Amino acid sequence: MVRKKLNRKEMIFIFFCTCIFVLILTFYIWHLIESIRVGYDASSLTIELQELKERVEKLETQKAKLLALERVERIAEEKLNLEKPRKEQIFHFAEKSISDGKSL
Amino acid sequence: MSLIFERRIKKRTIILSIFFSLWTIGLILRLIQLQIFQHARLKQEVIEHNQRIDKILPKRGTIYDRNGIILVRSIPYPSIFFTSFGEDVKKLSGKELNLIDRILDLDTHDLKRIKKQISNNDSFIWIERKVDPKMADQISALKLEGIHNLEENKRFYPQGKLAAHVLGTVNIDNQGVCGIERSCNEILEGKIGKRLILSDAKRRKYRLEIIQKPVAGRNIVLTLDETIQYITEKELEHAMLKTKAKWGTVIVSHPSNGEILAMANYPTRNPNLLPPSSLDLNRNQAIHFLFEPGSTFKIVTASAAIESRKIGLNEIFDCSRGAISLDKITYHDHSSFEKLSFPEVIIHSSNVGTIQVGQRLGEELISETIHNFRFGKQTGIQLPAEEKGKIRPIEQWSKYSVSSLSIGYEISTTALQMLQALNVIANKGVYYPPNIIKSIEGSSPKTSTTSPKRIISEETARILTGILEEAVEQGTGILSRIDDYKIAGKTGTAQKFDPELNTYSSQVHTSSFMGFVPSQDPVLSIIVVIDDPQGEFYGGTVAAPVFREIAREALRYLNIPGRRIMPERVITAKIQSQESS
Repeated sequence: MVRKKLNRKEMIFIFFCTCIFVLILTFYIWHLIESIRVGYDASSLTIELQELKERVEKLETQKAKLLALERVERIAEEKLNLEKPRKEQIFHFAEKSISDGKSL
Repeated sequence: MSLIFERRIKKRTIILSIFFSLWTIGLILRLIQLQIFQHARLKQEVIEHNQRIDKILPKRGTIYDRNGIILVRSIPYPSIFFTSFGEDVKKLSGKELNLIDRILDLDTHDLKRIKKQISNNDSFIWIERKVDPKMADQISALKLEGIHNLEENKRFYPQGKLAAHVLGTVNIDNQGVCGIERSCNEILEGKIGKRLILSDAKRRKYRLEIIQKPVAGRNIVLTLDETIQYITEKELEHAMLKTKAKWGTVIVSHPSNGEILAMANYPTRNPNLLPPSSLDLNRNQAIHFLFEPGSTFKIVTASAAIESRKIGLNEIFDCSRGAISLDKITYHDHSSFEKLSFPEVIIHSSNVGTIQVGQRLGEELISETIHNFRFGKQTGIQLPAEEKGKIRPIEQWSKYSVSSLSIGYEISTTALQMLQALNVIANKGVYYPPNIIKSIEGSSPKTSTTSPKRIISEETARILTGILEEAVEQGTGILSRIDDYKIAGKTGTAQKFDPELNTYSSQVHTSSFMGFVPSQDPVLSIIVVIDDPQGEFYGGTVAAPVFREIAREALRYLNIPGRRIMPERVITAKIQSQESS
């Protein structure tokens, strides 16, 4: 059994084919890895977005709690020594009609 | 040499071929075993390891006041549980439970339950649901086997006890128990969703796929105004502490569209804290508690008299005896009067005079007017378990019924029903159903099913408004007066029926006052009901001042000018906001 020697042209062809195969394989693997990486990033961003939304809601709720009128009145009276205005200190503008009042 | 070499090569080739053939056959057999015979089991294992379907809990809708202030919102809170399912954990030890208890401070009832579940070898045990996130972090730091956190939504009431009875509460599974939380449970709760989570060998999530989108609960905007609600609750609490009464309720509404601006009850509770010891604390007295209204009901008798024209405005009624007897029953006046005209009968709230008016009107007319004002029917407000009141059918009336009904006895109503009747007069004879929901996210703004309806003529309403104005200016409601505003109102003081003595008690009363302001173009209508006040008990002295304080502050807040207007020479200043500067 005598092995047939490859000529230069054939060797170049085989080398070229191997290179193309390796390149395609490398691209395919890179593509897969990138897809998975993007998947990780997307899911972590989705979770982060959700967490941020929840945080915004928590902060809004906290704001509502801090601005609760009972608390505001207590601080105004006890810490800032504010008092309710006396009758003669309040003026309503004549041109203001009833319908201009708060959204009733 | 070459022959020997060739043989060796041949031999090696055969050995290698056999080896590779066997290896290939082995590989194929193994593949057949895995792919065919064990396919189902292995596929399941892979799915269990890499894929998980999670429930996505919908966020319960937020409830706002009319100005967009948050009254209730769901916030994620961790729930702590133990599970031995799918893990190499046998059971929770007593030592581990003690460590958890030190952080969570579990109550004895919960500890007993957990210990019982441990002894039953339950694979899933709730340790505590919806705990403080800091506590949950402390427990996670212990790294106990089988102990995990699950995020659930907890209802949070940022304003504390404000409007507690209107808003209601939910149970641990976020189902509405009372108040708006219950009546609008279907709107608020939303629908559960599902998501597929793909994880790698290290259980890191690399793909989230929503299989079924959760439908978040819809937000609700109430007609309540946070500031008016606060003013109302504060003034009611003040009055309740002063009078040491059993319970009290106040409703503030906008008569021209029936919108409820405030609905307060006392005693009250903070829904953020533990459930109340008594279920009564969950009840909204404004729509649950029935009481005999007494003199405030005289507006119905007066309406019937004016509308039917059976009584002239200048007619005189003799009230000089101070009492009127019908067989066994004697009705008394709260003070002595001489002869009173029809308007004066109402202004001074004379029982003797009003009974004479009622007797002149007759059963049919009184009954018809009571039903026209929608007593004995639910108002249809969007709150659960509203009482419809009690009024006997005309066939069952006794010979005393006309007299009793004329002055507000033999009929039980809710505070809301009384305010609804007053609003008819305030609204120039037109009935608007009371309404507490301003809008629901994703729905058309109109939520009420009942349309406006004329109950009495505009003329009757105008005359009655004038009489009620005088009741405040010079009658029993004088303590409700506010200097710059004209108020129309009526007091009520009803003796309570004592079932043990089978008679009306002279010691226990329900005091009330209801009115609207400014009387000619009403912006606010208010009813104050205080049950069993100690000491002073007249509606004019107990309930009218509460009305006055609420009305005064609410009108100031709403910037409703009174009769006094801005003087000409006044220098005004305006603070510029940062944005505009």
